Amino acid sequence: MRTGHFNETHSQLVALSTSRTVWGWTIAAITVVAAAPLLVGNYSLTILVSVMIAIVGAVGLNMLTGTTGLVSLGQAGFLAVGAYTNAILLSDYGWSVWFSLPMSGVVAAAISVLVGVPSLRLKGLYLAITTLAFSFIINHIILYAEDLTHGPNGVFVKGATMFGFNVQKGAPLFYMTLAVTILIVFGVLNLSRTRIGRAWMAIRDHDIAARVMGVDLVRYKLLAFAISSFIVGIAGGLMSLQLRFVNIDVFALILSIEALAIIILGGLGSIAGAILGAIFLTLLPEGLRLFFSLFANSESTFYTNYVFEIRGIAYGVVIVLFLRFKPDGLIGAWRDARKYWSNWPLAY
Amino acid sequence: MKRLAMTLAAFLASTAAYAADPGVTDTEIRIGDVNIMTGPAAFVGKGFSLGSKIAAGLINSKGGVNGRKITVITEDDGYIPARSFQALTKLIEVDEIFALNGTSGTANVMAMMPLIEENNIPTVVSQAPAAIVYNPVRPSVFTFGASYSDAFYAQLKYIHEKNPSKDAVFGIIRQDDDFGKEVEAGYDRAVKEFGVKDGIRLRFKKGTTNFSAEAAQMKEAGVTVLANGGIFAGAGNILGEARKLDLQLQPAEVWSEGIPASAKLLAPAGYDFMVADYVSLTGPANDKFMEMAKQFVTADELKDVSRYTYASFIGLTSLAAAMEKCGQDLTRECTIDNLRKLKDFDTLGLSAPVSFDNPEQHSGTAVGVYQYNIKDGKFEERAGFQQY
Repeated sequence: MRTGHFNETHSQLVALSTSRTVWGWTIAAITVVAAAPLLVGNYSLTILVSVMIAIVGAVGLNMLTGTTGLVSLGQAGFLAVGAYTNAILLSDYGWSVWFSLPMSGVVAAAISVLVGVPSLRLKGLYLAITTLAFSFIINHIILYAEDLTHGPNGVFVKGATMFGFNVQKGAPLFYMTLAVTILIVFGVLNLSRTRIGRAWMAIRDHDIAARVMGVDLVRYKLLAFAISSFIVGIAGGLMSLQLRFVNIDVFALILSIEALAIIILGGLGSIAGAILGAIFLTLLPEGLRLFFSLFANSESTFYTNYVFEIRGIAYGVVIVLFLRFKPDGLIGAWRDARKYWSNWPLAY
Repeated sequence: MKRLAMTLAAFLASTAAYAADPGVTDTEIRIGDVNIMTGPAAFVGKGFSLGSKIAAGLINSKGGVNGRKITVITEDDGYIPARSFQALTKLIEVDEIFALNGTSGTANVMAMMPLIEENNIPTVVSQAPAAIVYNPVRPSVFTFGASYSDAFYAQLKYIHEKNPSKDAVFGIIRQDDDFGKEVEAGYDRAVKEFGVKDGIRLRFKKGTTNFSAEAAQMKEAGVTVLANGGIFAGAGNILGEARKLDLQLQPAEVWSEGIPASAKLLAPAGYDFMVADYVSLTGPANDKFMEMAKQFVTADELKDVSRYTYASFIGLTSLAAAMEKCGQDLTRECTIDNLRKLKDFDTLGLSAPVSFDNPEQHSGTAVGVYQYNIKDGKFEERAGFQQY
């Protein structure tokens, strides 16, 4: 029978992983993904880039909501700030993408502090509504600050090159997004095992107890807002590169809801869960499309008339069923499978 | 050797698909359609896609475009620009479409624009004829449809000329976005030209549902002619609130209220509202179209026919006319050239003739004015297609 893993030292306890198998699979997975431009077509690459952007955004939101327990519905607002910053700096001011992309994160982080300060005493639904209100404020500002944002007309994003390659399409965009995703994921994994990460978890589990233990709530909550928004801003910057056009309609409220659905479906508080959730929810419509395309030549008038409704309902039903039967999310399902594998043939 | 070379040349010449752009085979031309097939605005996309289906059915029943049948491939974007981009990527990469007819909303078509330009896809935009689509002009993009500005000016002109009154007070309520700006431009032009009293200008955020305060302000201002820039349920809510306060109004509406579902939303307020449109809403041309459509769609689908269906039908038939002129050597470049030369193309009376031979590659600017008759639940023509 297999045995569990037992950590004997502090360094083992805080290591990213002590398992060579895990590292081996991680490297193998990154290698396979990195080879994608050689293996798949442009459309699949577009989907993969969308998945990676969703991962970056979900990891950022997970840090705030999953790790620190601060519920946010302002994801669309921070994505918009990041996307507009990158678009304006690139297209109107001629900045290099080397600087404009990090600046997307910096501006989003700076604005998040403005939101964070009045929200420090709020928790749960109250905080969620405050962040939602912020999203509306951002929309209004973008709409009215026409001289800077071009108002409702939006901004075409152009001129993003790295090492002479146009990083707004194809393999160059894919590799840049992959690099940013790996950087962000490993950065957040490391951050979550530092003093800061543990303070965030303490705030999430019981903020009064955390304060008694000496955790500075103001400082750590603001830090959570700033770092999370930095990452979400970067996701927005990447979105603007992929879409090549930003307009306020791109950042609808539904994006904030989808982001929350991703981290809940993946497993709140888990980075691996956020990644799994982002992959699952981004690929779900594509999977449903492929599934329904099997019936494309069906003679049924009902099917041909209502295929889009059926697809939309199926999307909702899959999410509802998952949350009902796997409330711990995909990462919970993975842990159950791993436990079953380790303990087999015994149930427990 | 010479014989072999000649055989090879003859083979290449006979296989038109060899030289053609993506989406064209010896028997088929694939046309893309990105539309709003799910969500609250799905009825717009459904009506639009139906127009493409009817046009393809009609063209194919006559032997296709130089023997090639048209296949329309529809992708849903749910009215979200990011998804429009992804949908068009799929149509280009996976389905290898030749041209594009359905282009969803304004922000959506703008999100697709880099892909359209990069792939030089012949595109007819007839669902979102906003100025930013054709200004600056994109070589492969052709726009069919009038501006909201002209549509509102046309209605206000008709109202003013039909019943000129010194006591008339004009007012406008409009969305706080690019669409609303165009509505206000038409209103602005009208009040300045007619010298009528400009009573009130109100703005609201997209998605607003409660207009009680705005209705009270309109009453206070004594508005008698209202340029209503609300859409669908919004437009109905505005008129509903006005009715509660017993405002005596002549409302002018956005052309989206010309579809049966929207008209039903506005009807309970009891105003004989007006609509201006670049496609015909009523008359023999529409009746003839419905008769013809029955051959190509089911009775269930026929219920979704709306003004968007006519716009889409005109878009695809004009695209097909340009493709037809290319003969067997159908390429995107040739189609674009022929679209640029398209002049006075007959749309079976569903709109003024289509001409793209102008610097903006923009047609359909002639607008007709219609009034909804509450008693019959039907639109009646008040002014035929005119340039404003």
